[in-house]
Amino acid sequence: MKDQIEKYIGKLLADRSAAPGAIAIAAQDDVLIASGNPELAKLAGNTLSRLNSLALVVARPSLPFAEFLIKRAGKGESFILPQDTETRTFLHDIPFLRREEVSGDAAPELARLLGSRKGVIVEGVGIVAVGAITVEQAFINYSSVFHSTFVKYLQDLLSEGFKLPGEREAFESFKNEWLRPLSAEGLHFRDSLSLNKEEILDEIERVGRYTVERGLVDSFFGNISAQAGELIYISQTAASLDELRGCIDPVPADNSSTTGITASSELLAHRKIFEETGARVILHGHPKFAVIMSMLCDRKKECAIKDCWKECPHVRDLGGTPVVAGEIGAGGLAKRVPPVIGASGSAIVYGHGVFTLGRTGFAEAFKSMVDVENFCREEYFRQLETKA
Amino acid sequence: MFGWTGKLLHVDLTSGTCERREIPTEILHAYLGGRGLGVRLMREYFRLDPFDPQMPLIFAVGPLCGTNSPTAARLACVSRSPLTGTIYDCSAGGRFAWRLKAAGLDAVFITGKSVKPSVLSIDGDRAEIVAAGELWGKGVRETVAALKERGSVTAIGPAGENGVLFANIMMGEGNSIGRGGLGAVMGAKLLKAITVQGEGTTGTADRERFDAARADVMRLFRASPVIFGELGIAEYGTPALVDLMAQRRMAPTENFKSTFFAQSANYSGPAIRKECGARKEGCYGCPIQCKKASAKGEPLPEYETVNHFGALNGISDLHAIVKANTLCNELGLDTISAAATLSAFGEARGRFPDPAEVDRLLSDIAFRRGDGELLSLGSRRAAESLGKAGLSMSVKSLELPAYDPRGAYGMALAYVTSNRGGCHLRAYPISHEILRKPVPTDRFSFSGKARIIKIAEDVNAAVDSLVACKFAFFGATLEEYGELLSAVTGVEYGPEQLKEIGERIYLTERFYNCANGFSMKDDLLPERFYTEPGSAGEGIEIPPLDRGRFQEELQKYYRIRGLTPDGTFADASFLQKLP
Repeated sequence: MKDQIEKYIGKLLADRSAAPGAIAIAAQDDVLIASGNPELAKLAGNTLSRLNSLALVVARPSLPFAEFLIKRAGKGESFILPQDTETRTFLHDIPFLRREEVSGDAAPELARLLGSRKGVIVEGVGIVAVGAITVEQAFINYSSVFHSTFVKYLQDLLSEGFKLPGEREAFESFKNEWLRPLSAEGLHFRDSLSLNKEEILDEIERVGRYTVERGLVDSFFGNISAQAGELIYISQTAASLDELRGCIDPVPADNSSTTGITASSELLAHRKIFEETGARVILHGHPKFAVIMSMLCDRKKECAIKDCWKECPHVRDLGGTPVVAGEIGAGGLAKRVPPVIGASGSAIVYGHGVFTLGRTGFAEAFKSMVDVENFCREEYFRQLETKA
Repeated sequence: MFGWTGKLLHVDLTSGTCERREIPTEILHAYLGGRGLGVRLMREYFRLDPFDPQMPLIFAVGPLCGTNSPTAARLACVSRSPLTGTIYDCSAGGRFAWRLKAAGLDAVFITGKSVKPSVLSIDGDRAEIVAAGELWGKGVRETVAALKERGSVTAIGPAGENGVLFANIMMGEGNSIGRGGLGAVMGAKLLKAITVQGEGTTGTADRERFDAARADVMRLFRASPVIFGELGIAEYGTPALVDLMAQRRMAPTENFKSTFFAQSANYSGPAIRKECGARKEGCYGCPIQCKKASAKGEPLPEYETVNHFGALNGISDLHAIVKANTLCNELGLDTISAAATLSAFGEARGRFPDPAEVDRLLSDIAFRRGDGELLSLGSRRAAESLGKAGLSMSVKSLELPAYDPRGAYGMALAYVTSNRGGCHLRAYPISHEILRKPVPTDRFSFSGKARIIKIAEDVNAAVDSLVACKFAFFGATLEEYGELLSAVTGVEYGPEQLKEIGERIYLTERFYNCANGFSMKDDLLPERFYTEPGSAGEGIEIPPLDRGRFQEELQKYYRIRGLTPDGTFADASFLQKLP
């Protein structure tokens, strides 16, 4: 387990979601071990030993957004409710503890909250996330909370503006220093993907790694596929995009085998997109600004539909990319994305993420996703500035 | 009280009495229902011989039954297994559980032995024991048909009447209370069937909260490829696993001599759909509808059944497998144990049975004639009797299902730590080792598995007490089911509390077993798995299990459970400290 702890501390640093020196992970088999920042490791160990779970991450996020969300929350509130798909589907809500609630040993109260939720925010400490059966699961839950709080804070800023001392400065620092230019420059793709299995697997693996390395998506949020004759090669459910070796399922187009029961929950959406567009490859990820911008709608006040993420029948537009509603998996996403994605080669799903196509290989799909996210990023800053 | 009715029907077949009794609220809160409640109610009886007339046979529903909580119209049947000698429970769906709750009952507690074959008939507040008449000796289908006017039916077939150690109790819709031979316990009481109907409804304490929790569960079902994916179990039933297990090289073949059967595509999910016109069927109100039936309404076999009548016996003819399944349902035989016992018998004599012989032997087992007399005792006793004890692929006498332990090390550990013997459904590590839910784990590693198995056993003991279906947890978690439970009952339950309840139930079962002489010596896999490799292929090697590493992880498991190095309890007064 020690190697697992080291691995995921490394991943938290590599994806820049946690602050260096402020990360700890605890895991228990027949003995409890905790590693990382000594103070946080103590808290992690004390909390995990009270839970019937295997692992726990405690880390200070590299951005103060979660902290700001607590400060912006009304008196008496005890959780935040981000509207993105990640939260709605897997987290439900994210409880928080204010600084004054954790003056003594925070472990018992943390354990109580983690007894019914996957992640908690603690003011002055950071994000605490539990993994029921693996260290990786604790890392995923940390990433999910980080993603959700990122999205919610930026959404709130757009609707409510800066409210707290230091917020504007922190935001400027985020914008100018934390964010990096997003591009496909310098990456190498096969121009025209052959039908060779090994080549396809190799290319999917490499593209998955690129998406994470370039900060386009977080490790676990997305899936990738390529069509090859009678087969669709697609990344497996719960697969980390930067570790796809051995995690790509070949699925027969005629469903003559169910080997792909472990394929991504978006298999049906990918299949329909291939059928509808004749594309060769599909890239799907959850870039944050696209998620944020997809949830903005001018008509919210007068519209009768409240479950916008799944019920909205309208096709909106973000820089030439259509935005549609649709739940993941066997929800409506597989119905709504295929008809609209062909024209632009990209589509955004409300609160969820981006699908892009490649007609011959991944270069086009990757560049498309970069362009969509860059547009949404710029549009976000433009709108925020306009509001200010 | 919301969720529970607080009532138990106490039936004494010896005196012919039926009496409604209160169940203490604190017991319901501490054990929920289903498996947990049944196990708790066994506290005064667990030392009795399974065929002792005073041995209870308990049917218990859960607090979610009767609401539209997804997959919760189920019950658990609890007693002591004549096959394994362990405490035993089995979860079953259909419509019986829902109607039992509608009759205002959380449980039926049946004890004693009838003077002549009888049927227990429950109709709302009324319950009576009536003569079974001509039904004794009849098959399940005819019995169910004869009693259908009385509501939902659960019945035994000839196998249960004749004391076959792996006889099932069959639900009228084709579901079964299987594996451990509780059909024989029912038969020993001369109880042919139970019928039930009721009109009651189950109240919900907080409807808005319930609706929100239900929506969360359904969203997770939709997000799960295993459940609602186009290749998942809602589409193809559990035979969706056939192709996957073949690809993973862990499909038990020819009595576990190998782990790949070249003809398995003949009985895969798509093949069954094509050949049998499989349509969706399922338990009352279940959104998944994983059961499949033929166009004529004949229940089609599950994954374990197709593999064991298929690969395990070297049979590739789908229609022969379907027929064997139908025959088992009709006779009231457990398909896994029946097929595995035939397979052990086949290897022992040097020839696996062909389809025609399978049919004949199944009938002989149910009626205990010819070779069937020996085979009716299950593979462990049969193999010992034939002087080839090592050919029984079982743990604690319960035949292993269709997941080769050499292909998933958590599964290997889970088989031996299961309180009811070689069962895949206690810790159910296939969920993460193969199906990647909730997250994937390395199937060829023991690392962390002792803790993972322990946690999963606790979780599933809670799930079996709710009583929900294991398949729901390929998508949802105790987070969402805790919300459903809190909304229905008005009592707050979170995942950690549910796991605590699960741990209490698991340890109670283990304590019962240890009190009856079980210990580490019984937590053993068959020797074959430590000495012989499985079938390699597609770049996958299936070496024998590392015995030293296995034992090391088992010792870790005992430490995590708070047990002695022999897997037993240091504290003899353990039960007295529990609610």
